[in-house]
Amino acid sequence: MIAVQHLSMRLTAGGRPVTILDDVTLEIPSKQTVAVMGPSGSGKSTLLGLMAGLDRPSSGSITLDGTEITSLSESRMAQFRRAKIGYIFQSFHLIPTLTALENVLVPLELAGLSSARTQAIELLQTVGLGHRIDHYPVQLSGGEQQRVAVARAFACRPPILLADEPTGNLDSLTGRVIMDLVLALHRDYGTTLVLVTHDPAIATLMHRVIALRDGRIESDDILPGTSAHRESAP
Amino acid sequence: MFSMAWRETRGGWRHFVYFFVCIAVGVSALVGVSLFAAHVEHAVSRQAKSLLGGDLEIRSSHPLSAESRTVLETLDERGIHRTHVSELVAMAARPTPGVTSVQATQIVELKAVESDYPLYGTLNVEPAAPLQRLLSLEPSRCAMVPCHGAVVQEALMLRMGLAIGDRIKIGTAEFLITGLVRTEPDRMANAFSLGPRVIISAAGLKASALVQPGSRVRERELLQLPSGTPLEPLRSELRGRLAADHVRVSGYRDAQPQLKQFLEQLSRYLGLIGLTALFIGGLGVAMSVHAFMQEKLKSIAILKTLGADSSLLIRVYVVQAVGLGLVGSVAGMLLGVVLQRVLPPLLAGGFVTDLLDQVGASTDLSMASVGPLFKGGVLGLLTTLLFSLWPLLQVRNISPAAIFRREVDPHSGLAVYRQTWGMPVGMHDRVSLITGGMILCGLAVLSVWQAGSWRVGGWYIGGLLLAIIVLIGSSRVLVSALRVMPKPASIRLRYAIGNVLRPGGHASGILVAIGMSAMIILTVSLVEQALLRQVNETRPVDAPTFFFIDLQPDQTASFAKLISERLAGRMPELTPLVRSRLHAVNGEEVKVDEERGQDERRDENKEERRKQWYLSREYVLTFLDQLPKGNEIVRGSWWQAGQRFATPQVSIEEEAAHSLGLHIGSHLDLDIQGATIRAEVSSIRKVDWGNFSTNFYMILSPGSLDGAPLTYVATIRVDPDQEVSLQQAVVAAFPNVSAIHVGDVLRNFANVLDRLALAIRAVAVFCLVAGGLVMAAALAATRYRRLYESVILKAVGATRGLIASTFAAEYALLGFIGGIMAVGVSSALSWLVLTHIFDLSWSLHPVVLSTGLACTVLLTLCVGFLSTFRILGQRPLAILRHE
Repeated sequence: MIAVQHLSMRLTAGGRPVTILDDVTLEIPSKQTVAVMGPSGSGKSTLLGLMAGLDRPSSGSITLDGTEITSLSESRMAQFRRAKIGYIFQSFHLIPTLTALENVLVPLELAGLSSARTQAIELLQTVGLGHRIDHYPVQLSGGEQQRVAVARAFACRPPILLADEPTGNLDSLTGRVIMDLVLALHRDYGTTLVLVTHDPAIATLMHRVIALRDGRIESDDILPGTSAHRESAP
Repeated sequence: MFSMAWRETRGGWRHFVYFFVCIAVGVSALVGVSLFAAHVEHAVSRQAKSLLGGDLEIRSSHPLSAESRTVLETLDERGIHRTHVSELVAMAARPTPGVTSVQATQIVELKAVESDYPLYGTLNVEPAAPLQRLLSLEPSRCAMVPCHGAVVQEALMLRMGLAIGDRIKIGTAEFLITGLVRTEPDRMANAFSLGPRVIISAAGLKASALVQPGSRVRERELLQLPSGTPLEPLRSELRGRLAADHVRVSGYRDAQPQLKQFLEQLSRYLGLIGLTALFIGGLGVAMSVHAFMQEKLKSIAILKTLGADSSLLIRVYVVQAVGLGLVGSVAGMLLGVVLQRVLPPLLAGGFVTDLLDQVGASTDLSMASVGPLFKGGVLGLLTTLLFSLWPLLQVRNISPAAIFRREVDPHSGLAVYRQTWGMPVGMHDRVSLITGGMILCGLAVLSVWQAGSWRVGGWYIGGLLLAIIVLIGSSRVLVSALRVMPKPASIRLRYAIGNVLRPGGHASGILVAIGMSAMIILTVSLVEQALLRQVNETRPVDAPTFFFIDLQPDQTASFAKLISERLAGRMPELTPLVRSRLHAVNGEEVKVDEERGQDERRDENKEERRKQWYLSREYVLTFLDQLPKGNEIVRGSWWQAGQRFATPQVSIEEEAAHSLGLHIGSHLDLDIQGATIRAEVSSIRKVDWGNFSTNFYMILSPGSLDGAPLTYVATIRVDPDQEVSLQQAVVAAFPNVSAIHVGDVLRNFANVLDRLALAIRAVAVFCLVAGGLVMAAALAATRYRRLYESVILKAVGATRGLIASTFAAEYALLGFIGGIMAVGVSSALSWLVLTHIFDLSWSLHPVVLSTGLACTVLLTLCVGFLSTFRILGQRPLAILRHE
């Protein structure tokens, strides 16, 4: 479960204080899929990044699977992230000097798994890149790079997957392939999925849609469908 | 164009900090060294008369003949003032050797002067009383006995536990120590001396009875000319009139030729090391410009779409580079001024400070500083220009299409654009080739300018190029070895290797810079070590402990008796000596042309200079029954024991025979203090000069030197615990005999070597700083990429510790490879220097090399850490979102 309490994020830009998130409170039960929507600058990506512990909020708390993460030290946070969170970026963010396989290997090796290599190859096969494991990011198309990123995010079978506009840099067809992949992984492993998107079509694939505006929750809707949605209704 | 250059500079300041510092460090090393050299040289020239001791100096190794003395007396009538100085080595002893905790005898460099010494400059003594009074004979000075005064160097008092008011015995006379001598105008604070200075009066020397026939004395007649009297005519006149006495007549302008030559050589080589620091800094410049260009790809492409052509852009960037170079050079000049004030005290206790005190060189800026400052600045500016030109050529290869392609391959850098650029390959190559050639020529010209000699500059740039080629080659080989090596299991090591191998990571540049700077320091250390080892370790186990010199023929029997009594029947090895000069070779009279100046001599080839040296030098002759140890006959044959010849036979050393053109059967006329003997060459010998024995260029057959003013030298090996007592016994029994302790001499020499190496290392440190800066510049160029990757790693769960250790492994790896290259190249270089310049054998120095390697790794770790530690604390979100 993800519990966000009174989360605020304020920065200074050009010498003036800017509020990016303003007292956001929400709860996401396990195995739920959530789309976070909203115009540019509404704080979607910041919310997601804070949930992954990639930055520290100005105030408020975030509890993931019972652990309050805003007070964790940097290394404890890294270890926690390694075990619990997969993160997919809009612009893939693969390490350019590593091959597809090596990129997927990174989290597995960090976790110290002995079967890392076999697992990474299997994962790449799952995302349909079994034949390109030795290619470098520059040698892959955008869609292929994002598939590698998905495999990397899923490598340690994290219970929580956070995706920041995973299809934002892809054409609609490729985007569709990526979404199918992410949803399949959710289905197979019961992963909690929080996804930032601009695309209403993708949002409709989720259980729940949260809309942000100016750093506040504007609306929080359960989409009609499975029982899981009703359980998580506020 | 200038405003455009300014705008660009403002935007890229991060790269330019290193640019600027690299040039500043190089220039400061150069300026520091040349300012120091210029100030010393200026002071030396200003003090030329006091350094020589007069306007003219007449120098000989024996007392002048009566005829020559008459010639000198006639000078008085012409208003020429003169004074006489005798210099010799002697033993000082405590008159009552009671105190056992301190030395009772000590070898000293004795100087006997007349009352009007010095003619120029000042003798610094304490107490500041007239020298004449300090040295005079006072009736009841020494415990109611009349004795002369002496002023001594502090070292003598320290070693013998004496104070002012104590007495010392020199020769057969006693002296009262009346003062301390601090500096003498005409004695360079020589880095090397046999012992502390003692100054006495000419009358005192006479009383000591030290000067006997054949004694080793340097007689100097110092002349002061009435003002307005031209120097040269008198010099030639004296040279002619005193020719029979084989004197050397020098004018003040060629005072201290060895000192001048030493300073010139020292500043030349230190300057070249400084230039190396500047060139290494140039590498940093090239790297910064390259990184700046990488960042500017897009703006350059946009400017090109807006109609700017390559040559305009290159001009803009050249203006920018030159501007920055100028600022860096000025900063370097200022730093250099500070440096040359700080450097000499850093070498405190060393000969450099003594020298500065001696000649009164100041570190204040004067007209003499203008040249070095200007030269340093111009060298800095030109180096900037030459090193930035090559990376700036890239501008031509950036196509406007780069705007679009950047998305495709952000990390392979310019390679892509270079290949896709529409310029014909040949044309492109020609421009690069011509520019490359020009840059090389430019660097060569700078080297020659700094070296002040075509030959040295040429050797330097050739050696530098060779070193760079070898370093680049070996860095490539080692890096490719990393590539084919199986990937290590450790994740840290694997990332570290990946970082070293990545294209555009500047591994080559960093390795060359690190390798080069470590190589220079290591080579200096290796050569120093080899020389020290040569001095200390290669001494044969049976090498003598003492050389006792100036034994008179009538003392040899009693001397041998004394030694044999004290050393249980062992006998000293006694060798007769007499000094002589070449009078004629094969009947042709030797004419030593002293008129020619130094510069003229330098132009002659080595062979001719060597021949002149052999012709004009003084030869110590001996006669021996047996071929001495360490000598080998290569032509002719040694005489039979007991054989006597009508014409004396002579055995010549191989090199001397070659230079003098002597063969078996050739004739030599030798002038032995006025008497000439003719000898026939009967054999040619090879001599092992390093055998710590008495070695000779010429050995005559027994009987040849009968009647000549012989002295004897005795060599003896004793156990360390008997050294002091033996020396005391000999000095007590034979006051005129000096004991030269081989160990002390070698220690002195090692000391000098150490100080020299320290000076060289101090300048070489600048190469190291420059090397570190190049690495920092290269890391700065890849800073953004490192930041990016480290935050991705953090996002997937890497801790700060892991990222830090990955970086550390990478820097250690760079340091290790660079260090290995430095170890290899410096070993080769030291081998070259030792075998070709010093004629010594080379051996591996594992301790020096491994220390060098460890220090290199430590250096790269420190530089790397300082350059990148801030990356580690960055939070991922902001960076990844803005990518």
